[in-house]
Amino acid sequence: MNSPFEQVVLQSDIDELETSDLSLLETLDHVLNRGLVIAGEITISVADIDLIFLGLNVLVSSVEKAHEVLREREQGKNPGTSETEGLQTER
Amino acid sequence: MVQSPENPLSAEPEIETSHTEEFVEELRHVTDTLPSRINVDPQSVEQGLAKLVLTLIEFIRRLLEKQAVRRMEGGDLSPEQIEELGLALMRLEAKLQDLKTQFGLADEDLNLDLGPIGRLI
Amino acid sequence: MRLYVYCVVNPIASPPDKPLRGLGDKEVRSIRSGKLEVLVSAFVGDNVAITEENVVTHQRVIRSVLEFTTPLPFRFGTLVTESQLSSYLESRQVALLEKLDALQGCVEMSVKVIWPTPEITAVNSDDQSQRSGTAFLAAKKEEILGDATLSQRAGDLSLWLSGHLGGLVREEQVNLRPRDRLVLAASHLVEREQLSAYKLGLGAARAERPELHFLVSGPWPPYSFANIDLEFKSQFGVS
Repeated sequence: MNSPFEQVVLQSDIDELETSDLSLLETLDHVLNRGLVIAGEITISVADIDLIFLGLNVLVSSVEKAHEVLREREQGKNPGTSETEGLQTER
Repeated sequence: MVQSPENPLSAEPEIETSHTEEFVEELRHVTDTLPSRINVDPQSVEQGLAKLVLTLIEFIRRLLEKQAVRRMEGGDLSPEQIEELGLALMRLEAKLQDLKTQFGLADEDLNLDLGPIGRLI
Repeated sequence: MRLYVYCVVNPIASPPDKPLRGLGDKEVRSIRSGKLEVLVSAFVGDNVAITEENVVTHQRVIRSVLEFTTPLPFRFGTLVTESQLSSYLESRQVALLEKLDALQGCVEMSVKVIWPTPEITAVNSDDQSQRSGTAFLAAKKEEILGDATLSQRAGDLSLWLSGHLGGLVREEQVNLRPRDRLVLAASHLVEREQLSAYKLGLGAARAERPELHFLVSGPWPPYSFANIDLEFKSQFGVS
């Protein structure tokens, strides 16, 4: 099976496994799928079985929408003072 | 909190082992099921659903297997029943393997360390 | 324009002398939100490739603040708009502050163990035509018995290791895979002052079980302990 990761890991000979490979693999293990999550999946587990995956996109969009509505209201009260920076909502 | 001179942190995380090749070999498996890109889009929710469904089916399948073995050991199944049961479970295992392949999921993705429940079954 | 986010930090009193370079060699800057700061960089594109360069850069940026303060790392590949980031920070401000506080002065250490496993005969479902249902079940029985023994041993191993480290580990996450050679992968949250004692404890453990192969790495930023999101394990955990 062609791992899409082959482009990443240096094509080193199995026989000549370098410490640098180990360093990268260990780093990967620590950096992937750990840490704070803004938009993505929440995983709810029972006895270490991942059972529920929630797409957090929905949540984030809802909060965004609320802010947008508030901002629009403010703009309605104070025309000409709105900031355009940071108001772009992509997708 | 500023680090105290008595406890300086090394510049890079140290990685220490006497068995580099072995660990590289084991950790390489991580890369087998990696996507090549990470992006946040609705598709990941579908993948999540596939994972969820397959995890539950796999869980039930294992329960069934264990139950079948228990019944077999218990001696209350006829040889014909054992044969039929075995065939059915074998086909179920193969079918599930197909589904996993279709969705590009490995056993580790279904995360089936049953933990405390495992001991109850 | 999207931002790549690295980590949440307590506002850093003295910023580094020369600006950090992040993914795509973009400059890393900080965004303030209430009592928090977030390190970000501009990102071009819709998704983040898992390349060595990106992964190493991500780690390097987060690692760089570890000298001054303990960060809450974001998951690799987190791309957001500025407004999405603001929403997140505002709605999670309290939880983030609490977590940041809880992790101050700590680092993450990692221990992995390979054990010599007896040959595990897995049922080969490829030659279905040959195999009878009865043979399948018989093989499964062996597998299940083997599994139970292995699980027990793996559990014991985990307890033994925790025993050696005792109060030196504030929090831990252990991943056990009884059927694999890499049977145990643990992340330990350790206070910096306890690092030498921790290493000594590990050394003693390794000496006690020379048949086990260890890999120890760290100190890392607390990747495994940063997440504030819903964790229902304790509520729904079955014991």
